[in-house]
Amino acid sequence: MSDMWLPTAEDPRLDPVPPRGERAVVLQYLRFYRSTLELKCQGLDAEQLARRSVPPSSMSLLGLLRHLAGVEHSWNKRVLQGNMELTRLHRDHPDDRDWDFNGAIEDDEVVEQAWSSWRQEVADAEAWLEQDDFDRLVPLEGDQIEVRDIAVHLVEEYARHCGHADLLRECIDGRTGQ
Amino acid sequence: MSELETLRRWLGDLRDTVERKAEGLSPEQLATRSVPPSDLSVLGLVRHLAQMEHYWFVLTLARAEEPQLYMPDGDWDAQFRDAVADEAVVADAFDTWRSVRARADAVMDGLDPAALEFVWDPDDRIGSVRDALIQVLYEYSRHSGHLDLLREAIDGQTGE
Repeated sequence: MSDMWLPTAEDPRLDPVPPRGERAVVLQYLRFYRSTLELKCQGLDAEQLARRSVPPSSMSLLGLLRHLAGVEHSWNKRVLQGNMELTRLHRDHPDDRDWDFNGAIEDDEVVEQAWSSWRQEVADAEAWLEQDDFDRLVPLEGDQIEVRDIAVHLVEEYARHCGHADLLRECIDGRTGQ
Repeated sequence: MSELETLRRWLGDLRDTVERKAEGLSPEQLATRSVPPSDLSVLGLVRHLAQMEHYWFVLTLARAEEPQLYMPDGDWDAQFRDAVADEAVVADAFDTWRSVRARADAVMDGLDPAALEFVWDPDDRIGSVRDALIQVLYEYSRHSGHLDLLREAIDGQTGE
């Protein structure tokens, strides 16, 4: 991955001053991978975004976007804010647990809706994590985990999905980098 | 769990993920570029992850004076290009990765959990111990994403 997507000076993901402190550093990495995902989707039409370009995987960039909107929503609103009764975003299909990926079809309205829900959930999660206490314990599946653990996990999950996005995009139009 | 314990636990999980993604594959499968046009292979990524952990833990944090792994004369692409279907190359990659991990663990054992803000300053870049740990963690994460799709294209296997 040594190729360049954009010249370094135009990379929107890099802060001129490196942040210090646990929260600032972790949240900076979270922003970094969120914008990596955005870059990987840049300039594609609905057909390309919905294309399952790395068979036999059922993933597509649009599926990832819907999935990650759901990830932000679930960790932030269900787990961190304690509303486990909320329906999972983009997974509201009675008999398909993978509806976030399988419902990612070539349709401008589906694309528009994926972007708007992702942007909304990103903004909400960002605001919550800016003020939550990283040492606070949160109940999860009969266990107690720290907010810190969820924040680190979120970045790990984004980075892993950005790995998927790297190959999906390269197989769509050959574009790699960053 | 402290910040350092949390980061180390996640790193342990991700190393296990990479082990699982490589498990049970022949040298040919390990070396195959299974998602063309990408030139990534499982074997190339194992070599790259060994090189990457060595760079951050051994060269950067422990300041050892050694050449970078799998990059003769600074040739970055050699990590991937020279990952060929050969028993000896495969054995070397996994042995090297495991020994780097042991050295990395020793470096982490010596870190002061309260001093992650400590700034190291090798010639070419500046950062904190925290940055180095997090870089390693997220390198592993992103490459695990590559491994997911490479492995699924080899034999259909998916999963965490």
